[in-house]
Amino acid sequence: MTLTAPAAVLPETAEPAPGRDHSAVWCAVSLTVAGAAGAVALVAADRAAEWGHGRPFELFWLGMLVFTLPAAYWAGRRATSSRLRLAVIVAYACFTYLPKLLRNPTGPLYHDEFAHWRQSREILLDGRLFEANPIVRVVGDFPGLHSAVASVASLTGISVWHAALAVLIGAHLLLVLGVTVLAQEIWRDGRTAAIAALAYGLNSSFLFFDTQFGYESLAIALWVWTLVALVRAMRAPAKAPIAVLLIAATVVTHHLTALGLIATMLIIAVAATIKRRDAVAATAWLLTLTAAVLTTSWLLWVAPKTAGYLDPYLAKALNQFAGMFSDNGESGRTLFKQSIAPWWEQKTAFVAQGCALAAMTAAAVHLYRTRNRDPLALAMLVLGVCYFPAVLLILTPSGAEGARRSWAFSYLGIALVVAPLAVRLLDRWAGKAAAALLTVFAIVMVGNTAAGMNPSYRFPGPPVYGSDTRALIPEVAAAADWLRATQGRGLRIVADRYSGLIFGSFGGQDPVTGSVTFPTYDVYLTQPGQPVNPALIGQLSAWRFGYLVVDRRMAREVPEIGIYFENNEPIAHNGRPGFTLGQLTKFDHTPWTIKIYDSGNIAIYRFDFASLNVPAIGGGK
Amino acid sequence: MTTLRVLAAALATFGLLALVGGGGWWPAAVLLIGLLALGELWLRALVAETVAPAARIGLGAVSGLVSLPMVAVTLHLLGVPLRSSQLAAGLAVLAVLLGGVALLRERSGPVPDDPRFARTLPAIAIPVVVALVVGGAATMAYVRMPHPQQPGFTSVALGGWAAGIDGPVTFPRAGLDVPIRVASAGEPAAVAQLRVSVGSRPAAPARPVTVDADTIQSIAVHVPAPLTGCLHRIEISVGAASTIFYGRGPAKC
Repeated sequence: MTLTAPAAVLPETAEPAPGRDHSAVWCAVSLTVAGAAGAVALVAADRAAEWGHGRPFELFWLGMLVFTLPAAYWAGRRATSSRLRLAVIVAYACFTYLPKLLRNPTGPLYHDEFAHWRQSREILLDGRLFEANPIVRVVGDFPGLHSAVASVASLTGISVWHAALAVLIGAHLLLVLGVTVLAQEIWRDGRTAAIAALAYGLNSSFLFFDTQFGYESLAIALWVWTLVALVRAMRAPAKAPIAVLLIAATVVTHHLTALGLIATMLIIAVAATIKRRDAVAATAWLLTLTAAVLTTSWLLWVAPKTAGYLDPYLAKALNQFAGMFSDNGESGRTLFKQSIAPWWEQKTAFVAQGCALAAMTAAAVHLYRTRNRDPLALAMLVLGVCYFPAVLLILTPSGAEGARRSWAFSYLGIALVVAPLAVRLLDRWAGKAAAALLTVFAIVMVGNTAAGMNPSYRFPGPPVYGSDTRALIPEVAAAADWLRATQGRGLRIVADRYSGLIFGSFGGQDPVTGSVTFPTYDVYLTQPGQPVNPALIGQLSAWRFGYLVVDRRMAREVPEIGIYFENNEPIAHNGRPGFTLGQLTKFDHTPWTIKIYDSGNIAIYRFDFASLNVPAIGGGK
Repeated sequence: MTTLRVLAAALATFGLLALVGGGGWWPAAVLLIGLLALGELWLRALVAETVAPAARIGLGAVSGLVSLPMVAVTLHLLGVPLRSSQLAAGLAVLAVLLGGVALLRERSGPVPDDPRFARTLPAIAIPVVVALVVGGAATMAYVRMPHPQQPGFTSVALGGWAAGIDGPVTFPRAGLDVPIRVASAGEPAAVAQLRVSVGSRPAAPARPVTVDADTIQSIAVHVPAPLTGCLHRIEISVGAASTIFYGRGPAKC
């Protein structure tokens, strides 16, 4: 059992004598050429997508596979030396950040990226942590990522976005290296470790989600390294302090990852207890308890809003899941509904799940037959099995978000238990197994990526109203810039989801986009000539909201993601715009709204609540 | 490398960053060295034994990276604003603390250097550098290539003193010159009609205004006083875009 293995590192794979084997040179040359060719194809894919011609999906996968398949070959090859294998894995980690880097190289694009960009920028401007964030309300309570980014920006003078890229590329590299080291700690074999890292890179969050400027991207790397530290501490309890440091860092960085860490550590502790009841299990339990105490304390005293933030998602997902059985699936969601992803991507998304199930079954049989009694192997098997229930949650609208996030955790279990099986197959049927495994590798990479991210997140394209990634147009950014330049930042404004994102980030304002308890969308929904709910006006006035942003596209277009303001908005989504133009232009005739800016689609009004109900010649009330 | 040298490297990098401040990518490289040195001090302070090279590099890098939020949170708790000099000082203090602990632990016997560490470092550094060159070139090329034109727009906003209008404006008998800001982006030059209305009537005939492409211009628009002291709606429009505020004339309502 590996936990009783000596702490000293095993000898490295025998290095070939210089002059006899040029595989390192061949590997370096082939992967450099493949990497350059892959990068060119990825650039071509993005250009094809943004200009609306060509075959972006085909070019994208050509670019990805032209590098990753040779990298997988070199990493899985028996004769590859340990250092060369490590170099290949590092190159793989760097290359797999490129798709996200090319997607938005110059600034934030995904929803949460705007929140973290704003938070980092506010730290640079004000020098304070834990400030409220109007875009993602709990972000400020988990300062791990944005304090690191702001510190890098502050110490080096580079922009917030460049500092974020530096931190995120580092975190991505550390994630892959961490999986390699963890697998090495468990299996004591560099080849198995390399294959585990490659397999982990197949999870649906790897290319686009856990590479975004979001707290998960740093936290997931911390999670893996905490497990490395845990495994090392279980072997030698004197090493536990480094695990405590990393647990604390994870807790400070991201709520769900902290909870995921506790769950993973719990699985490991239980597995260790089942297999052996000694100091190994005691260390695992002690560190799990530490993680639980730190997380609970942080959630109770520093981030008490987190439970309220996460609760609705979980409760709604479970309700929708239960509802699917009672209404014949009507409350569920259809995968790839209206997706522009090609048919072969959509098919491979389903095939990939079948491959994962088959691989896990075979790995479980393999572990049983080899009589592996390692508690860590058992724990990883259990962790991997957790992947499959989450696949079902993807069928519910609210569960899909959580399901996607969970895959980055559970896929570690799959990667770690499938890797030794892959090595076994390669040892037994080298040529045929290599071809088969590379084919499966390609299919699963395509399928999982297609299942994890919509094409609009992966590719650029023309502006689309109501898209989280393509709604930003220069007109909105210019309006946000003008408001900040003329009226200052930190203003309380009423806005829709998409304007709020830009005014709250680049504009530096504090937008509210409505909720059940503060239904600011009623301001927009009120019919022309009708008074706005006085209670709502009272709230806006009491809380010193000063400005209203109106995006008139709401009356002409249907939002791509089916949301104008927030998930629970009382607006029908029946394929027609949720507003009439009259509802949005009524503010041009009400004396309590002064139109200070207008650019056609975007209008900014200043509230003058004192003029409410005052009749005006040429206007209304 | 001895702990003292690692400590010296960390202090030198943080000192340099505090003194020179930002300005380009070289401080980022300096900071990377400083954080790696700090990470190594964490390991020497907390894990006083030989660690496999890849694990050592990874654990060191992670520990160095998490030092940033740790120092930031500590400074916040102490009420110190997060500025570059304060952060550099905080990192230096942390380095000294960790170096001190590591030196104390080493009194019972230093951990021997692992010769594999120096051989493993290039296995990580070389692909990173190659990837930065290839990926960086691809990204810069993509950014500099022509991209589809974004939709253009013309905006009209209250400017100057008028940008601060927050309630009904009281007009003198002679009326007011209201500054407006007209901006055009991504649209060709065009002639738009400037219209002013007070109450429900036009205040003057429309006059043409040239809106040049990609320019911002300020225009003073004369608005005559409303006829009475009652609240009047006042609209200034350039083409389809307009600003609207409310005002009262000098006469009684």
